[in-house]
Amino acid sequence: MAKVLEGPGMGLLRKWGISTPNYAVVTSSEEFDQLSQVNDWLQKNKLVVKAHEALGSRFKLGLVKVGLDLAAAKAAVREMLGKKLETLTIKQVIVSEAVDHKEEYYAAAKSTRDGVDLLVATCGGIEVESNWDKVKHVSIETGETLSDSALSSLVKDAGFSGDTAAKMAEFLKKLYACFDNEDAQYVEVNPVVLSVKGELMALDAVTLLDGDAKFRHKDWTFPFAAEFGRAYTKNEEEVMAVDAKVKGSVKLIEIPGGNIAMLPAGGGASVYYSDAVVARGGKLANYAEYSGDPPDWAVEVLTEKVCSLPGIKHIIVGGAIANFTDVKKTFGGIINAFRKAKEEGKLEGVKIWVRRGGPNELQGLAAMRALQDEGFDIQVFDRKTPLTDIVDMAMAAK
Amino acid sequence: MSILATKDTHVVIQGGVAGVNAARRMAEFRYMIKQPLNVSAFVYPPDAGKTNEIICGTELIMIPIYKTVAEATANHPEINTSLVYIGADRAYAGTMEALNDPHIKTVSMITEGVPEKDAKLLGKHARKLGKTFNGPSSIGVVSAGECRLGVIGGAFDNLVACKLYRPGSFGVITKSGGLSNEIIWICSQFADGITTAIGIGGDAYPGTDYVSYLEMFENDPQTKAVVIVGEMGGDLEERAAEWYGAKKRRIKLLAVVSGFCQESLPKGMKFGHAGAKEGLKGEGSARAKSEALKKSGAIVPDTFGALGPAIKATHEELLKSGQVKPIPDLAAPDMPRLPKTVQESMKEGEVLVTPLIRSTISDDRGDEPLYQGYPASELINNGYDIPHVIGLLWDNRLVSKQEAEIIKRIIMLSADHGPCVSGALTTIIAACAGIGLSQAVAAGMIMIGPRFGGAVTDAGRWFKYAIDNKLSVDDFLVYMKKNVGPVPGIGHRVKSLKNPDKRVKELVGYVKSLNMATPHLDFALEVEKITAVKKDNLILNVDGTMAAVLVDIGFPVDSLNGFFILSRTIGMIGHWTDQKRQGSRLIRLFDYLVNYASPKRREVPPLK
Repeated sequence: MAKVLEGPGMGLLRKWGISTPNYAVVTSSEEFDQLSQVNDWLQKNKLVVKAHEALGSRFKLGLVKVGLDLAAAKAAVREMLGKKLETLTIKQVIVSEAVDHKEEYYAAAKSTRDGVDLLVATCGGIEVESNWDKVKHVSIETGETLSDSALSSLVKDAGFSGDTAAKMAEFLKKLYACFDNEDAQYVEVNPVVLSVKGELMALDAVTLLDGDAKFRHKDWTFPFAAEFGRAYTKNEEEVMAVDAKVKGSVKLIEIPGGNIAMLPAGGGASVYYSDAVVARGGKLANYAEYSGDPPDWAVEVLTEKVCSLPGIKHIIVGGAIANFTDVKKTFGGIINAFRKAKEEGKLEGVKIWVRRGGPNELQGLAAMRALQDEGFDIQVFDRKTPLTDIVDMAMAAK
Repeated sequence: MSILATKDTHVVIQGGVAGVNAARRMAEFRYMIKQPLNVSAFVYPPDAGKTNEIICGTELIMIPIYKTVAEATANHPEINTSLVYIGADRAYAGTMEALNDPHIKTVSMITEGVPEKDAKLLGKHARKLGKTFNGPSSIGVVSAGECRLGVIGGAFDNLVACKLYRPGSFGVITKSGGLSNEIIWICSQFADGITTAIGIGGDAYPGTDYVSYLEMFENDPQTKAVVIVGEMGGDLEERAAEWYGAKKRRIKLLAVVSGFCQESLPKGMKFGHAGAKEGLKGEGSARAKSEALKKSGAIVPDTFGALGPAIKATHEELLKSGQVKPIPDLAAPDMPRLPKTVQESMKEGEVLVTPLIRSTISDDRGDEPLYQGYPASELINNGYDIPHVIGLLWDNRLVSKQEAEIIKRIIMLSADHGPCVSGALTTIIAACAGIGLSQAVAAGMIMIGPRFGGAVTDAGRWFKYAIDNKLSVDDFLVYMKKNVGPVPGIGHRVKSLKNPDKRVKELVGYVKSLNMATPHLDFALEVEKITAVKKDNLILNVDGTMAAVLVDIGFPVDSLNGFFILSRTIGMIGHWTDQKRQGSRLIRLFDYLVNYASPKRREVPPLK
């Protein structure tokens, strides 16, 4: 899944015929000044200014300001841009037009095993959270089309009537078209508002797209945002850039404050290693994995980043018995980065724990073991030692 | 017995390099169990009509490549299974093609990063047709002693270590490829090994899930217990629990689920597998899955590490109840072994191979070439030059600084002689005919022979003959006239005493200025004195001069033409690039340059 920020998310809704308020994503006060000189809507309406970054709880952080006139909006833009938070600097804000409206509704589409669920409710905004029973849905099976009759009975069932029911049915039809054609996995429009002019508009959108489908969406020129309430770090972005380039995969997520660094192989085994650390009361400094026989240099880059994590006490180089990832080759990359890190003094007092099997395991493990002669604090185990025992040993050693 | 991949499975592999690699791994497995290869065909449009070479034991088997699945199954009607190794952007179409083929009952897809929508459509289509679509992102399927689909099980040594040459009693279903192999290993060490192990892939909506295969295992009498390795996200584990708990099942179920760490990590974090993600509202957590499985009656160890002992306990119970019998281990000499390659055998000192060729000049086996043992880079860094490399490779010795200077001058003087000479002209004609560099230069090179540039070796040979046999100039000329003919190295098409060859003067002048013995050069100059008197253009030419000098500094006679060939190559390459640069067009001889001396037009007589 790949999260899309509000601006491009709204853009996709508009592409499929859904009305949204006017909005603009700006990266500097000067740019906003220029925009305000040519756009009527910025001069005539109340405005909303929001930080346009992958952040949770923007309201609490004071990064959403509503009911502003142009002058106040300019001040808000100036104040927010460049503001430094713990994990990022705000580089973009989105300014949108406040829409006078009487009613707020809820609409969403989400991917399920059997197809797509289309959800709708007559209440919207924060109200929907406490009125989940009011949310009605229709399931559209994979490969089937959405029928008008199913739509109209859905909106009726949800409690819409008359003209609004017809408008909502139309809105949902467009929402589904957008969802289906854009390879979305989740689109939530909350609230959908009925403007005083009688038009249904999407005021906010949460959009998750299927990043794997990017190859058939040449217009997805926007970057994907992190999904866990903070922006990606520089190290994470660098590893993602490598990941996008190579056969196989390398992945890194940093977890500030932890002291057990993870460098395991395999999408499946890596999670068991993380579990083992947490189960023994350890604090993870990161999540990482490499798999699919990636080139040694990619593993080397990943290892460099892992060695650079602050305050680490252990590095867990775990892995199951590989099917086709060459242990000797991938360990070669890890060893290169270990040597570099040691020269730079980064492995002072750090214990390294290795367990692995797979093609060329004997040579790979021997090369790791030889690091002991170079003064590394490293323990190396083969397939005979159960998968996560090195975590137990590490936790006992501290 | 086993499920999904059996002794009756016959495979078409859709894809290129990765598919060929999989076929090679599958061939290793078949060799281990002493069965013929079960890959009948490849489908890969770019290479359609060719064959892929698969090593199967000591044999090389050619497997045909087709453009479409239909062609493959028409030619190989035994095919009932397809393995998809096509890139994510084309995987949907390729898999549809396989599913729609009436011969094919099972499709397993290894491709990762397939759009979720595509996977759902494929899964639905397969279910509609009553076929099995395994994957995407599946490492494959392996049934011990019967069949391997894909690279699951890893290297040959691992196949043997995991006792995959004969069936055990445990079924395995995992999302993760690496862990499937780990569990196969654990089953072989803590119990009697596996029947079938299946990777269903780590995507959110795999085509077939735990339940699909639990049903099959339940109906496979050889399988007594099934191990599933799950992870957070989705509801596959919950559905497995539901299936297991729904009624009394014959098979025992053991399960572990990963993702407990999610409880202390940022929500929404992405792990290695696309499907390994809790729902937005926390559904599909590892805890919920574990609980559901426990409640269903499955054995759920708390950690992955506790799985081995749990499998062992289950196996012991099966033994005690008589449901399984102990399987004796193979004695070491009976363990399957891959035939060794010649290199491996040589390394272990088992065979002696008579070399086909012998080389005394260079060695390419290290990280850089060695010329007579000297690393090329060290020669460069120690100030050596091209003439030294020539000395090492042509005469197995490091030439002196002075000798190197002579060689350099020889190369410079004979690098080119304008466009009109045989070699250059031929190269130019070839260039104008659109011929490539190496062929055009080779065409020019063919001209080098007794009349053009190729007299260096012969000149050297006879001057050396004269000196070695202490012949006087007169005796030499008599000998040559009687036995050989014109003296090689003497005579020029256009140059003469009055119009001397500056190159010869230059080279002779330089060599004579050095304080070195030049018996061959001196002899050649003496010969010239006599021949030039007889005829004005019977002068010592550049071939003869080079030859005499090079013999004087000790180069073997057979290498001498090489100096001209090497030098003139520089010029020929120049002429070719020159024509290329100018975009020269095809040329031909003008007919007025030909004396048409053939018979005039006449009547063709009747054929007899």
